[in-house]
Amino acid sequence: MSSRKPATELLRAQVQSGKARRRAPFLFLAPAIIVVFAVLIFPIIFSLFVSTYNWPLSQGAGVRRFVGFGNYTALAQDPEFWNSLKLQLGFIFIAIPIELLFGFAAALLLNREFFGAKIVRSLLLLPVFFLPILSGMTWRFMLQPRYGPLNALLLKLGAPEITWLGNPATAYAAIIVQDIWRMWPFMFMLLYAALTAIPQELMEAAEIDGAGFWLKLRSLTIPLLMPTILTAILLRIIDALRVFSEVYVMTEGGPGSATMLFSLYTQRQAFGYQKVGMASAMAIFLLVLSIVFALTLVRKNMSLDVLEEKAGA
Amino acid sequence: MKRFLKKRTRKIILNSIIAIVAFLVLAIELYPIAITVINGFRRDINILSGQPLQLKQLTFRSYELVLKNAGFRLGMQNSIIVGLLSTAISVMIGAMASYGIARFRFKGRNGLAYSFLVFRMLPQISLVISLYLMFSAVGLRDTITGITLAHTSFNVPYVIWLLLPFFTAVDKAYEEAAMVDGCTRQGVFFKIFLPIVAPGLVVAAVFAFLNSWNEFMYALILTGVKAKTAPIAINGLLGGETLTWGQACAAGTIMLVPVFIFTLAMQKFLIRGITAGGVKG
Amino acid sequence: MKKALIVLAFVLAFASMVSAQTINVLFWDDAYPRTLMERIPEFEKATGIKVNIEILQPPQVFTKTSVSVSKDHTDYDLVCVDEGNIPLFASLMLPYDQWGPGKVFKKIDPNTVTPAMLDVAQWDGKLIGLPINGNLYVWMTRKDLIENPKYKADFKAKYGYDLGVPQTFQQMLDEGTYFYDNGIVSGGFGPFNGGPAGVFGEAIFMWESYGTHFIEWVKGKPTLVVDKAKAVQGMEFYKKLMKISPKGAETMAHVERQAAFCADPKGVFTQFIWPAQIASYEDPDKSLVAGKIVYSAPPAGPAGRFAIRGTWAVNIPLASKNKDAAAEFVYWWASKDIATWLVEKNTVPARTDALTDPRFAKTKPWLAAIAESMKYAAARPRFNEVAQVQDIVKKYWIMGITGQMPCDDAMQKIIDETKDVLKKAGY
Repeated sequence: MSSRKPATELLRAQVQSGKARRRAPFLFLAPAIIVVFAVLIFPIIFSLFVSTYNWPLSQGAGVRRFVGFGNYTALAQDPEFWNSLKLQLGFIFIAIPIELLFGFAAALLLNREFFGAKIVRSLLLLPVFFLPILSGMTWRFMLQPRYGPLNALLLKLGAPEITWLGNPATAYAAIIVQDIWRMWPFMFMLLYAALTAIPQELMEAAEIDGAGFWLKLRSLTIPLLMPTILTAILLRIIDALRVFSEVYVMTEGGPGSATMLFSLYTQRQAFGYQKVGMASAMAIFLLVLSIVFALTLVRKNMSLDVLEEKAGA
Repeated sequence: MKRFLKKRTRKIILNSIIAIVAFLVLAIELYPIAITVINGFRRDINILSGQPLQLKQLTFRSYELVLKNAGFRLGMQNSIIVGLLSTAISVMIGAMASYGIARFRFKGRNGLAYSFLVFRMLPQISLVISLYLMFSAVGLRDTITGITLAHTSFNVPYVIWLLLPFFTAVDKAYEEAAMVDGCTRQGVFFKIFLPIVAPGLVVAAVFAFLNSWNEFMYALILTGVKAKTAPIAINGLLGGETLTWGQACAAGTIMLVPVFIFTLAMQKFLIRGITAGGVKG
Repeated sequence: MKKALIVLAFVLAFASMVSAQTINVLFWDDAYPRTLMERIPEFEKATGIKVNIEILQPPQVFTKTSVSVSKDHTDYDLVCVDEGNIPLFASLMLPYDQWGPGKVFKKIDPNTVTPAMLDVAQWDGKLIGLPINGNLYVWMTRKDLIENPKYKADFKAKYGYDLGVPQTFQQMLDEGTYFYDNGIVSGGFGPFNGGPAGVFGEAIFMWESYGTHFIEWVKGKPTLVVDKAKAVQGMEFYKKLMKISPKGAETMAHVERQAAFCADPKGVFTQFIWPAQIASYEDPDKSLVAGKIVYSAPPAGPAGRFAIRGTWAVNIPLASKNKDAAAEFVYWWASKDIATWLVEKNTVPARTDALTDPRFAKTKPWLAAIAESMKYAAARPRFNEVAQVQDIVKKYWIMGITGQMPCDDAMQKIIDETKDVLKKAGY
């Protein structure tokens, strides 16, 4: 038998549900936070720690020496480091826009039912599924002057007889082409999924109103797809920053250092020269760069609130 | 009536042109893969001769050798297990986290979301040595659990960010209606929200599986004899010092099959999700 | 009481027989370890020791050894170490004189290893591990081309001497040019422009052949002692050889070399080979020229003949908990029985008696060539920072020999940047 008044009961219920409401996000977020942070927080802190040391990979090489900012100053003075950064950024800024363009065009093209559409949409994704080291090896094989089919084709089309992977400029172009080839279907898949989520009624309404193809595209399709486009670009950038196996197998960073992208140079420092301290400094540098990049996005137009507003439009 | 007919024939012609263009694009895009698949049926001596393909050269020898290779079979088995496990885990907790970020406004929301992003941006090469030390210390080295955990660590942030646009595009009306009816947040999430965002979940699952399936660096350093994955097994066939190109191509083709099947299976859900009704009212 | 003790003794003996010990072995990927793997089940049966094998490409073997082996922890009980990496890992490995005597297979006397190879595992005055293959430059030349009467007559008419296995650099250039210019081969010479260690090997080969060392240990420090003029000569000559090389030679690694020599219908006239790869070149399933190859020691440059060594050694980490079992495996591997069988299978172990067994003289023509090459064995310089120097050499060597940079400038760059690396390393 309760002596409490109904009003306080109502209040208690409200307070409790308020608590529950505040707890709710953390229930949803806790598993992800625990898993990711548990696995990654030590490596990141460890990298920070190691980056202040001269730290040989193998214990056999001798002692670990504290050098403070030594690795960072060494990197700043290392032309190979700046070269790898330049190559990496170039890689990202050339490959990704082209992938987006191709993917978007394909999504628009294939967003209709024609004979064999389903087959095309499924098979188109195969390059994305292709094992990266095998992709790199295949492109290396195809471009080989003596037995490469792509090389043979290029010669037939009138290209000069070059060893594509032996020439700095063409080697760099080749790794970019390899990436575009492999990943534009990824853009396609994301954009296609989002495109199919646009309700038919909206499209039909616009058509009835007399909107032509380009007008529909500009004022309806693209704005609706913008969150997905931005996400696709973001996801590609994350992966493009980590690209390693396919390029390594194609050129090993050569000729010279013409294709020594950021992770390739990190790998060379860590596993080639055994300088884990330098490699860690590079990792921390990338971390800082990523944080700056993320902050810029927040400031500009990728703040989550804005993302929601755009979607709600 | 005349105008109607004209419109239909126009549509048919347009669709036919598009079909032709689509198949052309597909053919060009699949050319390198076709080469690899075909090379799986050729002897190394022919592949590397520079001579054009002759039908009588085709042989199953490479496939025989690859399938007899116990290391490759183990690798495939491990890759499937690790792939499915890390996909299931990542999509589940990634979707939950993405929901938490998309639906709730709390302090540090941006910070949390972007810290996931930043974690995901670090190359494996930078993290693998410390991961090795960590896993070695707790006995996770060369275990399925260990490599699954390592894969989940990069799949979860990926899934979170991949799902965000899909999640934020959903009208809150459905969930709010359900909650007024007394449903808990968790109930709403599982029973109402997830079915709506099924296409996004499918895309997330496909790419999470793919990321794990093709992953090389963590597998190389963090696994040994017992937990090695298919990419490591194939790496052994790439012939650093000897010619086993045919086997590498055969193995690579075999590796495409599970992912392809996974995607086809998922595509069915994708289509079902779309026809179940538009996302917005 | 007596009965109980007997039972206990029996149980213990049984337990020690049944308790399968396990060793983890890290192999490099090559025809040689792969061939050995065929007979490992025999070893397991004879000793009750289970062998877990990880087999990876040489650079990855290096990486995993670096990461996994430390003074107090190791994932492997036996690692294969490429000769260039012995200095780095020496302090982590058990010296050979401390290896156990062996139960089923007795300890191998180091003197059974060819003297030219034994040097590989010597560091700091001790023998660290056992060299396990007899790998050093051997020269391959197309027998069918030099024995062809038409070519013989034609060549003699043009050059004034008899066609034959190249004994000197000039002969190599003449003969290679003849075959290349007449379109008889796709390449008159097969260069190597793949991994840094390999390119470094080619560069050292040329420099030694022209009479200069590159880096020597002087007063306990690796010191740059190269004679620039002679080194440039070496580079210039290789540049000439590149002009008669197959298309795509600028990026030729092992696979492309083998493809050009074995799978190309026209093939390559002459090139160096690591004996470890001979099994593939002589496999009719993989090679159009199996049986058509004549082996010799490398041709002589102005300063004589030199054969670059590239031997692997097996080592037991100090931190291993199964040292005796691992040693047992090595004793089995390096036993006369297995070594002879390995020779039969076209691979090249390091045991002198297996390599010089008269049974194989006719059927394995490369063995005589390897024995000859061993007289001229030359090693690449070994020191901790060699990886950085190899990268420098590879970068500018290739630029020099392909004409992207004048050889003189390329050599100067090599010298300057190598000096820089050595200085920064404290030498």
